[in-house]
Amino acid sequence: MPLSVSLSIEGDTTVIELTGELDAKTAPDFHRTIEKAAGHGTHTVEIRMAGVGYMASAGLRSLVFAQQKVANDVTIKVVGAIEPVSRTIRTAGLDRSIVLSDE
Amino acid sequence: MTTVTDMVERARTSRVLDVPATVAALGSIASFVLRLAGAAGLDKGATYRLRLAVDELATNVVMHGYRGGDGRITVRGRSGPGGVQIVIEDSAPPFDPVEGRLPPAPGVPPQDRRIGGLGIHLALTSVDEFGYAHRDGRNISTLTVKAEGTDRCPPRP
Repeated sequence: MPLSVSLSIEGDTTVIELTGELDAKTAPDFHRTIEKAAGHGTHTVEIRMAGVGYMASAGLRSLVFAQQKVANDVTIKVVGAIEPVSRTIRTAGLDRSIVLSDE
Repeated sequence: MTTVTDMVERARTSRVLDVPATVAALGSIASFVLRLAGAAGLDKGATYRLRLAVDELATNVVMHGYRGGDGRITVRGRSGPGGVQIVIEDSAPPFDPVEGRLPPAPGVPPQDRRIGGLGIHLALTSVDEFGYAHRDGRNISTLTVKAEGTDRCPPRP
């Protein structure tokens, strides 16, 4: 299943919305969007993942990449991830630096 | 509606899958695994764990095993009421995933972590049983997810 990626700005938040499956094949699309989002310079980057039914470690790599690209004072939020996806993020220990939220 | 032809087709196609070791072939491997999980009646959680484990190990073979060169991956699957067993074979240089796993290191900043090793860690913590052998020049990984397996990484309370 392909991944659809959209990018928008809402106030001081850059919103990336993902729908589909995030794996080794589709992660490069997410990667390119992160690069654009980092250039926006907002204080928050919100990644909406409620529509992501599957995420492999390639998705983790993208989240780490996002952390590297944004300034230190920028908050990265992952919103609405289904349980197995947020479990994968926690297993990697990324929940220490990325805010996981339900809404 | 499932027709007899569908059932025959499924039995014929879901036992062994032999694909080139490419990123493009990972989707075929995922479909193969999902069909077996469906045939075994695995629940959503167990199905997700099985798919993740096979995907991570196969991705590792594609990205690192053959180092971007030509090669093939053979996936064999058996499903029954007790669960699903998948055997992944490749002829890349010997690599034992158990030795290559990399658990997350709490003290290490995310940007310094090797996410590749973490993929294998995810795979090994997702299955109920895992075995590795190197025979006749082939890496052979055997993964089992039980129908009533316990999730070894349960959600935090």
